[in-house]
Amino acid sequence: MPTTLLELREVGKTFGDTVALAPTSLGIEEGSFVAIVGPSGCGKSTLFNVIAGLLAPDGGQVVLRGSTITATTGHVGYMLQKDLLVPWRTVEDNITMATRLTRRVTDEDRAEARRVARQYGLGEFLRHYPSALSGGMRQRVAFMRTLVTHQELLLLDEPFGALDAQTRLEMQEWLLRVWKDTGRTVLFITHDVDESIFLSDRIVVMSPRPGRVVADLANPLSRPRGIHTLLEPDFIALKAKVLGLLHGGDA
Amino acid sequence: MRRRVLLNVGVPILSLLLVLGLWQLIVVGFHVASYIAPRPREAITSVTSQWSTLWPLILGTIRETIYGYVIGAVLGFALGVVMAKIAVIQRLIYPVILVSQAVPVIALAPVLVIILGFGIVPKIVIVTWIVFFPVTVNVLDGLGHVDPDLKNLARVYGASRWRTFVQIEVPASTTPLFSGLKIGAIYAVTGAIIGELAASEGNSLALYQEHANSNLNTAAVYGTTMVMTLIGIAWFLLVVGLEVWSTPWQRRSVARRRWRRGADGPAE
Repeated sequence: MPTTLLELREVGKTFGDTVALAPTSLGIEEGSFVAIVGPSGCGKSTLFNVIAGLLAPDGGQVVLRGSTITATTGHVGYMLQKDLLVPWRTVEDNITMATRLTRRVTDEDRAEARRVARQYGLGEFLRHYPSALSGGMRQRVAFMRTLVTHQELLLLDEPFGALDAQTRLEMQEWLLRVWKDTGRTVLFITHDVDESIFLSDRIVVMSPRPGRVVADLANPLSRPRGIHTLLEPDFIALKAKVLGLLHGGDA
Repeated sequence: MRRRVLLNVGVPILSLLLVLGLWQLIVVGFHVASYIAPRPREAITSVTSQWSTLWPLILGTIRETIYGYVIGAVLGFALGVVMAKIAVIQRLIYPVILVSQAVPVIALAPVLVIILGFGIVPKIVIVTWIVFFPVTVNVLDGLGHVDPDLKNLARVYGASRWRTFVQIEVPASTTPLFSGLKIGAIYAVTGAIIGELAASEGNSLALYQEHANSNLNTAAVYGTTMVMTLIGIAWFLLVVGLEVWSTPWQRRSVARRRWRRGADGPAE
């Protein structure tokens, strides 16, 4: 019986008259990769901001490994489509940025940053400034910065949304590799149905007005996954189902 | 590399030489009498021939400029930060600061001399008065435009306000900060000279020039003006140098080797 790492209990958020997120309950198992898919305005980013503690929900609780973390920060890793690397720090120093924001960076922190960077293909760029990197490389650095926070739960909000299709596929395979190595729990927001299926164990489908969860689907596709996965019948079947849910039965 | 040096150093020097050339051309071409405008060479000689007299005066002006500038820069930065962080203080202080800059400094200078005497203090106050404003305005602007997502990210990581300020907000504001510092640098000497003029007593570069003027020594008037200008430019270039040194990421793609011990870790 796998343990539940994150539990949302009737968490909702309203901005004025707009229900950004209807009261939502959700459990995320330890070590799983859960994709949240939905069109803009479905409340997925609001959901993330509530989990991250940036937004206080109108009601309900956010529980991480048994302790309530509602509206408090510092408990999760967090990454956006914008890489948010700081231009005045090198790759190595950007990786340790999260640490630098809470305490003094030690030699061990730096050593870990270098080890992670070397392991995942950025070893030659440790002393580069972000301005010298491509979009895909910048997102890798941003992900490593998220990784070395040692948070069990990583919230990734459309991290590859700004990348071209080719780079995006490379990054997805790369992410799966890192996820497998590190055993973290990932919550991954995307509006790209293919991406949600390719990456996840489970797909949470959300819908707007009001933002809410409309389906919670298990993903039966086997791992490891590669380009071949995209052509499997199970992939196509799941895609049809998700598209149907998103577009109200037109698919 | 050589090309860049030529572009960044050679061309600006050339443009200054062109100005001197134009000056020479006008004075000679229109037969301007030397009591109205000397030739560049005469102006320069008026300085070099009186160097032993001028040098202590130059040092005095430099001292006033440095003290006033450093105080103005620190004060300007602090005001910018406080105003950016506390809305009430911003509303409270902004009108006062605007009024302070709307007052013509020339009109203010004699008043400061009456209050603070003939020493270095009123000159420092005037330089500070001129320098802090562009720094404050730019720091306020810079801190107001830090990417809110970046600040949110710091919050998610559990960063304190202080660390967010030091690690994110200040470095993110370096470009506007240096804009303010550079504007301040070029005006700082003007402030010092206004202060010297207002004192109308003692030994100073401004009074030396006034003395030369009343003696119809036009060459020395021009020469002293050139000296004052050079102090301003030197100070400006020093600030530019500081900017270049402290913001390597704006020109380089790879960081310089670090001096910190152990920063590069064990060899592979």
